[in-house]
Amino acid sequence: MKTKMDFPNINKRKPDGLQDTGKAFRVLIVDDSMFVTKQIEQILTSEGFDVAATAENGQDGLEKYKELYPNIDLVTMDITMPVMDGVTALEKIIEFDKEAKIIMISALGKQDLVKKSLLLGAKNYIVKPLDRKKVLERVLMTLKKQ
Amino acid sequence: MRVEYINPFVEAAFSVLKEVLRIDIQRGELYLKSVSQPVLGVTAIVGLAGDVEGRVLFDMGESTAIKIASSMNGEEMVKFDELAKATITELANMITAQAVTKLHELGFEFDLTPPAIFTGDNMEVTDTGIEALIVPIEMEYGKIEINVAVREKN
Repeated sequence: MKTKMDFPNINKRKPDGLQDTGKAFRVLIVDDSMFVTKQIEQILTSEGFDVAATAENGQDGLEKYKELYPNIDLVTMDITMPVMDGVTALEKIIEFDKEAKIIMISALGKQDLVKKSLLLGAKNYIVKPLDRKKVLERVLMTLKKQ
Repeated sequence: MRVEYINPFVEAAFSVLKEVLRIDIQRGELYLKSVSQPVLGVTAIVGLAGDVEGRVLFDMGESTAIKIASSMNGEEMVKFDELAKATITELANMITAQAVTKLHELGFEFDLTPPAIFTGDNMEVTDTGIEALIVPIEMEYGKIEINVAVREKN
């Protein structure tokens, strides 16, 4: 006798990286650590986000943001970087696009710089070490903020 | 050197390693070195300057470094390449940042240099005028020695 198994549809949930239109959110990752960049990229792409570009310092990040604009939804920005630090890059990106959604990525002990960044217009922050849950939670929270 | 300087580094190393590697970690016996000492093959160094000055080494063998980098990247790595170096640098960054937060809470003010990685065989470190306190940390991937040589600035 044949039995019919009723399996739940495990793919039913829409990946967090997709907008209601089905288009992926586009993200720019600015970090001088290849490890952190890869970590954020893996977490985001596994949820359907489109990592549009990565940059190794604030200056490069600012230029990439201008190139991608307006097709860019979110930036993750390391604080301590060579050439141009993350707080300066944040300031310059906000000058260019005051609606920019930027999440600061910070090591512990940088509370003053995180506060400064939030005052300058950063929408959120994540303290390292990064994990999937923490990153996705903050990214989604930031994308929902108007 | 006062022992209270090393404790924040050991506690931070424990908490960060447990969080990122999710394996069992044991602390070995603290010991003191005042002369030249060999280092294990892969060493991340962070400098401190301010009320206290000196340096912290995170010292491990290459195979331990590769196993840690593999675990942190979620993929099998076979050599100590650029990604592995970036991973160990970031590990040193996370541990130091957490330790420094504790030291700042105790009232010490100082800045850190970005971590640098040394690799090679038969290396030694010599600290003139500062003794080094060393705490070995044992785990299934091998041993990491937290090697702290700092002093209060006169």
